[in-house]
Amino acid sequence: MKKIGLFYSFQTTRTAEIAEKISIGIGEDIIDKIDVMETDFGAFENYNLLIFGIPTWFDGELPGYWDELLPGMESLKWKDRKIALFGLGDQRQYPANFGDAVGIMAEFLEQFQAEISGYTSVEGYTFLKSEAQRDDKFTGLLLDEDNQQGLTDQRVKDWVVQLKDEWKL
Amino acid sequence: MTKYSIKDTDKKKLKEWLYLMLLGRKIDSKAPNYLRQALGWSYHAPYAGHDGIQLAIGQVFEKNKDHFFPYYRDMLSVISAGMSAEEIILNGISKDSDPSSGGRHMSNHFAKPEWNIHNVSSSTGNHVLHAAGVARAIKYYDEKAVAISSQGESSVSEGYVYEAINGAAKEQLPVVFVIQDNGYGISVPKKDQTTLPKSGDAFGSIPNLKIFHCNGKDVFDSMNTMVKAKEYALSGKGPAIVHASCVRIHSHSNSDRHELYRDDYELKYVKDNDPIDKFKRMLIRYKRLTEEEITEIDEKAAAELKKAHKTALKAKNPDPESIYDFLYAKEYSDHKYPDGLHNEKGESVKFIEALNTTLKEEFRNNPDTFIWGQDIANKDKGGIFNVSKGMQQEFGQRRVFNAPIAEDFILGTANGMSRYDNKIRIVVEGAEFADYFWPAMEQYVEMSHEYWRTKGKFAPNVTIRLASGGYIGGGLYHSQSTEGVLSAFPGMRVVYPSFADDAAGLLRTAMRSEGPTLFLEPKALYNNPDAATVVPEGFSVPFGKARLIREGEKAAIITYGNTTHLSLKAAAKLEKETGAQVAVLDLRSLNPLDEDAIINLVQNTGKILIVHEDKTFAGFGGELSALITEKAFEFLDAPVMRIGSENTPVGFNPVLEKAILPGVEKIYSQLLKLVNY
Repeated sequence: MKKIGLFYSFQTTRTAEIAEKISIGIGEDIIDKIDVMETDFGAFENYNLLIFGIPTWFDGELPGYWDELLPGMESLKWKDRKIALFGLGDQRQYPANFGDAVGIMAEFLEQFQAEISGYTSVEGYTFLKSEAQRDDKFTGLLLDEDNQQGLTDQRVKDWVVQLKDEWKL
Repeated sequence: MTKYSIKDTDKKKLKEWLYLMLLGRKIDSKAPNYLRQALGWSYHAPYAGHDGIQLAIGQVFEKNKDHFFPYYRDMLSVISAGMSAEEIILNGISKDSDPSSGGRHMSNHFAKPEWNIHNVSSSTGNHVLHAAGVARAIKYYDEKAVAISSQGESSVSEGYVYEAINGAAKEQLPVVFVIQDNGYGISVPKKDQTTLPKSGDAFGSIPNLKIFHCNGKDVFDSMNTMVKAKEYALSGKGPAIVHASCVRIHSHSNSDRHELYRDDYELKYVKDNDPIDKFKRMLIRYKRLTEEEITEIDEKAAAELKKAHKTALKAKNPDPESIYDFLYAKEYSDHKYPDGLHNEKGESVKFIEALNTTLKEEFRNNPDTFIWGQDIANKDKGGIFNVSKGMQQEFGQRRVFNAPIAEDFILGTANGMSRYDNKIRIVVEGAEFADYFWPAMEQYVEMSHEYWRTKGKFAPNVTIRLASGGYIGGGLYHSQSTEGVLSAFPGMRVVYPSFADDAAGLLRTAMRSEGPTLFLEPKALYNNPDAATVVPEGFSVPFGKARLIREGEKAAIITYGNTTHLSLKAAAKLEKETGAQVAVLDLRSLNPLDEDAIINLVQNTGKILIVHEDKTFAGFGGELSALITEKAFEFLDAPVMRIGSENTPVGFNPVLEKAILPGVEKIYSQLLKLVNY
C-alpha cells in the first residue's frame, strides 16, 4: 500500500484537528503524520503522495514554519510527486487574501513540476480575492472555521473521497 | 540582479546583517530605559517586527547619492544605512550633537542630512511629498539615484500620500514608496482605515507605477523586493511601491498600552513571528552560522551599545541661548539700494509687469530656478493672472510647468526638490487664489521650521506666491486676506508689497535668499495705475525695511498691500479738508518687521492708525498695536486705532463687499477721529 506523508505543524490547533480528520478519512494505516517544525528535508522525499496543511497567516502569507522551509525545498526533487494542500482561512476578515497560502504553496511546488491534487470548487465561499483560486477552482481544500464551521466536516469528507479517487487509493 | 537567499548569500554579508539587526534591536529594547531614568527619549516607537524590511531599506540606500526619508519607526533602517549606535542614542536623548537636529526635533526622528537621510516631520506621511520633490530634481539633473520614502500603512489614509504617488507616477519620478504594514495606526486596526487590507494596492490603477509586495518580517524577501523596486525606479519608468507586511511586537510607542486593545492570542502570535528569531533559526537550519558565531555577534553588538551609551551620556545638551539660531536662513544682502529706496525717473510699469520681468530676469540669472503651480503655463496663458506669461516659452517646460490642483503637492514637492542642492531656487504659485491655499497648510508649517529643526542643515529655498485680498468683487473665495494666520509661523518670511518697484525688489530678494518666503500679491493692484512705478534695473528690497511714503506729523497710518493706496487717499483727503498732515508707512515686510520704523513713527506723531485689509479681529494689526503699546507707550497721545475688514467673510455682491472691506471713507473717518483725539 502506498504511504502518504501528511505534513503540518503539530503546534497548531485547528489545522491539527483537520489533519486528524483527514488522516482518519484516508486511513491512519497509510498516513504518516510529520511535524514540519521538526522535520528535515529528507522526509519529503520519502513519499510520492503528500498532503500539506497550510493555514494562511496575516494578509496572505505562508506560516513562518513553512516559509523557512522553502529554500531547502527548492533543492528537492518534486517531479512526479503528487501533493494535496489544505488550509484554513477567514473569508470575512481577510476577503482579499482568503486562503492565499494554499495558492502560494501550489505555485511554489509547480515551479518544480510537482503535481497538485485535490482541487476544489470555489462555490459556497464569499471572498474578493485568493491566490489559491484558478478559474472556478481552489488549488486545494480551503476551510473557514471562523465563518463556516458547520461546513467543515462535509468538506473534509468530500475531499478525502476525491483524493482517494485521484490517487486511486 | 543579485538574488539573496539563505543558501547563497555571502557569509560575511549574513554576519553583517545579523550584527545590524541585533544592534538595532538592543537599542530598540533599551530605549524605554532612558525615559524610565529621566534621561530623555520620551517618544519611542519600537520597530521590532519590521526588521526585514528595515534592514533592506538601509542596505539598498546609497548614502550621498540616494535620498532617504525615514519615518519615526525607522531605527533599523538608518542603522542599516550606516548611522551608528551613538548617533541613534544622541537623537534619542536629544543632545546638541544629535546629527538629526541637535536636540530640537523629537526623539526617534533619526536623520543625517549630510548623507541625504532627511530629517522629517512627525506629521505622519507628509515626507512622501518631499520624496517626490527631490526625485524631480534627481530626474532633472539626470542622476542615477532614487528617493526612498518610508511610512506606516495607516498614514496612507492621508490625502497627500495620494498626491505624492499620483504626482510621482505622472512625472515618472524615481521614488520607492515603502509602506510598512503592521496592521495598526496606534490602536486603530487597518480595517478601520482602508477598504483594502494592503493599502498600497489602492494605487493599482495608476499608470507608470509598479507595486511590489513582500514579507517585511523576512530578510531575504525584503532584500530581493527592495532591490527590484529600486531597479524599477532607476529604469525611468516611474515610481514603485513596496508594501511590506510586518508585525508590531510592542505598543505603538511608550505612551500606548497595546494590551488594552490586543488579546493574549494576538500578542503571542506577533511575538512568535519575530523576524530576528526567524533569521537566526534559518542561519542555523541552513548551516550558515553556528550558535557560537551568533553568540559572538550578539556580544559584539552588546559591546558597541555599551560604548555608545557611555559616550552619548557625556554629550552636551543644547545651549538654551541658541534658540534663535537657524531660525532664518541666509538672506541675500548684496543690495544696490541698501534700504530698498530709489529716486529713479522714467517710465512706470504696472505691478504685474514688474513681477513678470523680475521672474524672467532671475530665471536668466540662475539656471537652477524653477516655477510651478496651477494654470502656470499653457500656451499663451501664464498663471491665473498671467504673472508668468511667456516664461515657459523662454525657459522651457522642464523649468516652468503646470502642477495638479493639489496645493499640498505644489508646496511639498518644492520643499523636496530644494533638498537636492542649495543652489536651487523655486517659485510656486501656492494656489490659484490665496483663498485656496489652506490644503497646503501642513506643508507650509513644515517649511517654516525646516531650517530651525535641522539646526541649519537644510533650508527650503522657496518663494510662495499667493494672489491675495479682495476689491475685485470676488466673494468669499477670491477675496481672503491670509497674512493674519500665515504670519504666525516662526521661520517664514512674509512680504506684502503695495507698489510695482517694491514687488520687483522683494521678489528678487526672496529668490536670491535661502529659506522660504511667503510673497503676498494684492491682486487688485496687478493692473492698477496707482501701484505702477518706475523699477530700477536690478532693484532689490531687503526684508524688514518699511517705506515711509507720506510725511506727516499729526498722526500716522501703518499699512501694507491694497490698503496702502486707500490710506494715501484718505490722508490726502484729510489734508485737503483740514490741512492736517498724516504720515503713511508701508511696511512691505511683515516678517521680519521693521520695528525701528514703527517706533520712530510713534515718536514723531504720537498717534497711530493701523490699516489692513484682513479682519481687525485677530488680524496682523493686533500684533502691531501690541508692539507699539509695549515698546512706545510713552510716546502715544491717543489709543492705537485699527481699521480692517469686518469680522465676517467677504460677500460677493459689491454692496456687501463695500460694507465689509475697508474703504477710503472708513479710513478717513477714523483718521479724523484720531487727529482730533
